Amino acid sequence: MFNYRILGIIKRELKEKFLSKSFIITTIMFPMLLFVIGGVQAFLVTDEAASKLNIVCEDQNLTQSFQKELAVPESDLMKEGKFSFNFYTMNREELKKHLDDNKKSMLDDKLTGVIFVPDTVFNNKIMEYYSKSPNNLSLSRKLNEPINNVLIGAYFSSKALSANELKFMRGGIEVNGFKISKDENIKEEGFGSIALSWVFGLLLYLSLLMSGQMMLQSVIEEKSSRIAEVILSSVSPREMMTGKIIGSAITALIQMGIWLATVITVASPALNFLPADITVSIKAVQVIFLMVNFAVGLVLFLSLFGMVGSIFDNPQDAQSGMWPVMMLIMIPFFVAMSMMQNPNSPIGNVTALLPFTSIMVMPVKMTIVEVPIWQLALSIVVNIVAIFFVFPIAGKIYRVGILRTGKKPKWSEVVKWLKYKY
Amino acid sequence: MYSLEVRNLTKTFNKVVAVDNASFEVPDGSIFGLIGRNGAGKTTTIRMMMGIYLPDNGDVVLKGVKVGQEFKNRVGYLPEERGLYKKMKVMDTLLYFAELKGKTGRTVHKKAEEYLKRFDLYDRRLAKVEDLSKGNQQKLQFIGTILHDPEFIILDEPFSGLDPVNTNMLKDIILEMKSQGKVIIFSTHLMDFAEKMCDHIAMIDHGKIILKGSLNDIKAKHSQKNVSLSYDGDISFLQGHPIVEKIADYGNTTGVRLKEANQTQQLLKLLMERNVIVKKFDANDISLQEIFIEYAGQEEGGANV
Repeated sequence: MFNYRILGIIKRELKEKFLSKSFIITTIMFPMLLFVIGGVQAFLVTDEAASKLNIVCEDQNLTQSFQKELAVPESDLMKEGKFSFNFYTMNREELKKHLDDNKKSMLDDKLTGVIFVPDTVFNNKIMEYYSKSPNNLSLSRKLNEPINNVLIGAYFSSKALSANELKFMRGGIEVNGFKISKDENIKEEGFGSIALSWVFGLLLYLSLLMSGQMMLQSVIEEKSSRIAEVILSSVSPREMMTGKIIGSAITALIQMGIWLATVITVASPALNFLPADITVSIKAVQVIFLMVNFAVGLVLFLSLFGMVGSIFDNPQDAQSGMWPVMMLIMIPFFVAMSMMQNPNSPIGNVTALLPFTSIMVMPVKMTIVEVPIWQLALSIVVNIVAIFFVFPIAGKIYRVGILRTGKKPKWSEVVKWLKYKY
Repeated sequence: MYSLEVRNLTKTFNKVVAVDNASFEVPDGSIFGLIGRNGAGKTTTIRMMMGIYLPDNGDVVLKGVKVGQEFKNRVGYLPEERGLYKKMKVMDTLLYFAELKGKTGRTVHKKAEEYLKRFDLYDRRLAKVEDLSKGNQQKLQFIGTILHDPEFIILDEPFSGLDPVNTNMLKDIILEMKSQGKVIIFSTHLMDFAEKMCDHIAMIDHGKIILKGSLNDIKAKHSQKNVSLSYDGDISFLQGHPIVEKIADYGNTTGVRLKEANQTQQLLKLLMERNVIVKKFDANDISLQEIFIEYAGQEEGGANV
């Protein structure tokens, strides 16, 4: 199947692609983007401005409870070093004066805000917050729990409750996810697998669309610049198409390899790059499946993109022929993304085993739920079978189309090309 | 000995017969012209010879063997619509073309340098194709066609769109290739070039070969009936005269076609008798153009010179 002519074409494709700006940019940009996003996020989290809050209670005892809960150096809030508190006991009248006195410092950001805890809090748990920016989500997220704890403590202190009972009441809830798999051990699992499926899906999607687009453009260019006939005087159309597909596929696989290596590096626990609640475990079988599946998908889709490119002689006309192929990539992508909400949706289970769609769906499914090996193998086999159907058809149309110029052909004509003896 | 034979080639596109049972023979060491109007079927015939189109019917035979991929490697082909990779460098382009023909390594590299020097392109060997002038791109395309030292050179309308310098250069290359014993086949609608360069021709019209053979034989056969005439006086009496088949006025000269080849003396005698002053009487001259028109007719404006 491989001869020096195909190898020559592959070599040229690789040389052209590897040295192209778009390849270099996309290959480097993606990892950079990943690091930059991670870095910016980490920076934003740590860079939150220090908050200085006045806590004003109507009840003296409550003031003391707050002091005990919040001002101790061991509390989570104080450990972060981002909060400082002042405590006052005042009634509503005095609060008004306090607010007037502190108005200027609040407007100047010297004081973040004043939390007023009226006595009625024991009836309805409603407090008041005075600030230049009262709707600060990150602040309320951090303060809600300690404040609630103080209130619960104070409310139940008069009742006869043991320290344990109190502790239970004060505690929030936490859900730990466990992944059921064939392995003997049931493993605790965090957000990692969802994040991973998202990354896998997105990488596949971007890469298939990008390399497809490049294939299409390069075929159209060869056709419209009339180089095709020069090449065809040395090689057969099938050799030409095979060489182009393999060249593009190798390029895309190498790019995917670089991207995956970056993902694995970023995800590795040793680097401590990800937030602690996201642990990603990437298994070797997942990487291997992803690459094999991607290779098969490339051959399948690049044949289609090459076929479409050969039908048209300019990119504008080609748009109309490209959308059916794009749909074959986009619809499964959305199915795959929806599987993150509902990993066992019937449509997901079916599309994971159909030709074309499984290229996108299966790798995503595999990271979220345990997929038996035979299903992984089946999805690959199904697509390889699809290649045996698609490739000869694409080859025939390519053969006729690549030498056709002039009027944009009708679809009915393209179908007739299949019957031509070329 | 015919080195290359085209036997009964037929090709139909969408019920339109582009080439209809075409057969001709290309002798060894000759320059062969496939001549015909635009749309007559020249390019389709040549593409079938190159294996770019599969014929519906018929064969291309080289020394008795049907041609295949092996033949492609021995041919240098210049299509009518030329094309190069715009972003590729000059030298890379040449080496790529040769590589597809199975020629790689130092020898090809050296040869490419020689050709580039000869055609004043050596300084630009590292330039991108798109940065070359159109004339230089044409030169590059010729070099790409002959770099792998083909035995057969097939050129489809090689002279169309060439500037006069490159036209001469291509003529020189063709003659040089011929002197090296290579077979050159080219198609053209320019009778002038065909007449000056070809040893053998095949004339194609509406997909059919209507005339073929050695150019000398064809001309000799047709010239005997034709007289090229310059004169003063009135020759209108020749219109409808029993020995005259047709009179064609080309301005300075008038072509007279006789019904029989042996009637030239009779025509001269007639002119003398009518006191027409004969300045030139050439009874052995006919242009390929005239032959072409005789065979292919003059509809659609005929062939343009």
